[in-house]
Amino acid sequence: MSGAASALDWPAGPVLARDFAEWREAARRLIVRRVPPESIQWMQHAGDADLLSDVLADAGAANDAGAESAPHAAPALRVPRALMAMLECAACFRAIDRWAFLYRVLWRWQRGEQEVLSMADEDGARLQAMAKAVRREEHDMHAYLRFRERPEDKGAPRFVAWFEPAQDVLPQVAQHFVRRMGRISWMIATPDATVLWDGAQLHHAAALLRGPADIEDEGEALWLTYYRSIFNPARLNADLMHSHITTRFWRHLSEAAVVPEMVAQAATGARRTGQSKAVGRRSGTTIPVSAEQAQPEREQPRNLDECRRCELWQNATQAVAGQGPRHAKIMLVGEQPGDQEDLAGKPFVGPAGELLEWAMEQAGMDRRQVYITNAVKHFKWELRGKRRLHKTPAQREVLACHYWLQEELNQIGPGVVVALGSTALKSVLQDGGVNLKDYMDEPVQHEGRWVVATYHPAYALRVPDAQAREDARAAIVAALRTAWRLTQGGAA
Amino acid sequence: MELTDKLEILADAAKYDASCASSAAPKRSSEGKDGIGATNGMGICHSYTPDGRCVSLLKILLTNFCIYDCQYCVNRRTSNVPRARFSVQEVVKLTVDFYLRNYIEGLFLSSGIIQSADYTMEQLVAIARELREVHQFRGYIHLKTIPDADPALIEAAGRYADRLSVNIELPTQSSIERLAPEKSVHTIKLAMGAIRLKLDEKADEPKAPRFAPAGQSTQMIVGADASDDQRILSTAETLYGSYKLKRVYYSAFSPIPHSPKSVPLAPPPLLREHRLYQADFLLRGYGFQVSELLPQSGNLALDIDPKLAWALANRQHFPLDLNRADLAMIARVPGIGLLNAKRIVELRRMRRVRYADLSRLRCSMKKVAPFVITADYTPARDTTPSETLRRAMAERQQQLALWPELQAA
Repeated sequence: MSGAASALDWPAGPVLARDFAEWREAARRLIVRRVPPESIQWMQHAGDADLLSDVLADAGAANDAGAESAPHAAPALRVPRALMAMLECAACFRAIDRWAFLYRVLWRWQRGEQEVLSMADEDGARLQAMAKAVRREEHDMHAYLRFRERPEDKGAPRFVAWFEPAQDVLPQVAQHFVRRMGRISWMIATPDATVLWDGAQLHHAAALLRGPADIEDEGEALWLTYYRSIFNPARLNADLMHSHITTRFWRHLSEAAVVPEMVAQAATGARRTGQSKAVGRRSGTTIPVSAEQAQPEREQPRNLDECRRCELWQNATQAVAGQGPRHAKIMLVGEQPGDQEDLAGKPFVGPAGELLEWAMEQAGMDRRQVYITNAVKHFKWELRGKRRLHKTPAQREVLACHYWLQEELNQIGPGVVVALGSTALKSVLQDGGVNLKDYMDEPVQHEGRWVVATYHPAYALRVPDAQAREDARAAIVAALRTAWRLTQGGAA
Repeated sequence: MELTDKLEILADAAKYDASCASSAAPKRSSEGKDGIGATNGMGICHSYTPDGRCVSLLKILLTNFCIYDCQYCVNRRTSNVPRARFSVQEVVKLTVDFYLRNYIEGLFLSSGIIQSADYTMEQLVAIARELREVHQFRGYIHLKTIPDADPALIEAAGRYADRLSVNIELPTQSSIERLAPEKSVHTIKLAMGAIRLKLDEKADEPKAPRFAPAGQSTQMIVGADASDDQRILSTAETLYGSYKLKRVYYSAFSPIPHSPKSVPLAPPPLLREHRLYQADFLLRGYGFQVSELLPQSGNLALDIDPKLAWALANRQHFPLDLNRADLAMIARVPGIGLLNAKRIVELRRMRRVRYADLSRLRCSMKKVAPFVITADYTPARDTTPSETLRRAMAERQQQLALWPELQAA
């Protein structure tokens, strides 16, 4: 063999491919030797092998020779795994020219025609359609194959099924049932092959049955009872049902026998309800329980949870009240609960909460003397993709919720309030026009309390510039330290 | 009472719950192990009933005795229906027997409220535990979660179940107060929130105990109250965002026997339900927002699908040049789905997209034509008024309204 191998070296005889593995081996050698698709005749069965044996032997010898010289003759065949998987899947499609077609796809791919995989290409469309039909057949066999249980004394296989697949999908479907049935033995018979599972191993055999096994199975009667009952006659739509299940499968589904009667019954009577007639005929009972007894015992909802002063409650899970000792010396006020707080019902449990924890520690604050709350008690958000993104509460919402902040201030009576961020400051000072920057340097007196203002921890997490983040964190720590000193009777 | 009688009653009582998915469970296999069952993340529908719905799970109530009096429910305490109750063993046996015969992928279990929320939830958890721990069942389990049940029970339910669901049932607080006097939106939301927190915890801590790997879902009844589609979808959007639900199911209200005056005695609004599912799909998969599909209060159009309705109302985006537009925008073209949008973008890398490509991709050409520009095509009808296009593209409604004379009633 010379390095310039060509199609002319290829003996003009058919190439045998009984399965995908054989086709792949042959195809590799042929591609490497640049044999064009139109000069190959593929064979599916070795039925006439006697007549062809000489040719095949020659072909085999040529194959081997080709394979040996291939590394020198032509670049090795490199096929992406996804393409190979696609070809393997399409190879299960029953078509007389399947091997020739797959070879043409591979040939075109090798020549750099990548569109051979696109639906917009004629070959590509056919390849996709073949693979789709095979996957569909696998799926349908997973779905519509029915086992019948054999009597206990008959031994293995305990379960037997008959199925007539339209494509060659039995091997992979058998694997599916191996995973499904554990150590229980079963047999799947088809018109041209049989698989048996003995509980530990698969055995492949030729066709053993000519049709469904005649087994009386009590489970089937229960299944039909279920099938009749789960149907909703008020939604009768037989066409929709038939659009889902191809006609050929109905032949071996036991429920097919009861469908006509179900449809006929449902189609009579003008005021149909969802209840099945069989159930309606039985005698019924009401449950003698009074409305008071039926009411579940729930904790009295807190007034806060029943607040309707603004609309924010509608899209929130719950109102998040403040947390801390009854007579804390210091109150930290944030803006509003976030995604995590809304679910957990506690303030500052998300990432901003972690930063606040850290800042309090840095400032030497005693957590046991701190009450933490928010200016607005319900989470206001908007959907971005699939996530709830915080939305700044409007002035009217801050105002509406000030009622609850005032309630907390009255109850706790802290000497110092730390306003975290602009919204908190506006609420604490009851002035929508204030600017956070103007209040950050010095604590101010408001209604007999010290008010210390600083950034919201979320700002220190969010601001893009690293230096600004660092500064914000430092500012928060400094503010907390000031606030703590004020509670200890220190000077502002 | 015989098992078959119980099954007849308790499957009939469970049919009103729309969710029957068996998907999104992690891969499990019984190969070489004791016990049975496998999951691979894909759901399987094993049969279809003449209402067009699939049978994927054994969907039953543990009992239809119930102390609540939800007006829309056939099992409410004042309803005169036959009652039954399964034993734990009966549910387990039915599940296993059906599973072995390949009728089902697993169990969907719900229940009427008996004694208390906690007692009922305990019973449901006991069945799931028995299946998983005694029978080594690795198929799919979906448990209804009783909102008022102890969080510890919800945690236990999540250990055994693939999916948990808390049904909101109605889209507004006022409807729930009026039609389901024993239920509370507040506790329903809290239960969903607790489940989401657990799901998040598990996602952050892979070593934490199993918790509902197929997530949570809910159901809303359509047509039992006066809420319009905008209200229903806004509630769905809020629930998706807040609790990371995998699915919101919509169930057209089917009239019930001995119907109370508070709910309609009309055929279920099937087409409306269908449009809601389409709109829901646009919210989940296409990045649409409710405010785009329904800018004002009202219902979705019945004669055209919501995507086409949006395109006809927003002609400023069209015709769209498929050789330039981004993926998300291509997917918004009527007649081009997510998959074909991806294929168009892939094809674009190799060569210019032409009109014939769209027909080879099996796009709905009648729909696509007025909305796209390709290398060799510009719509002649770009100036056609939306009303005219709508008339040309409207679906004949007989498809879903099976009994027009009844639908009109």
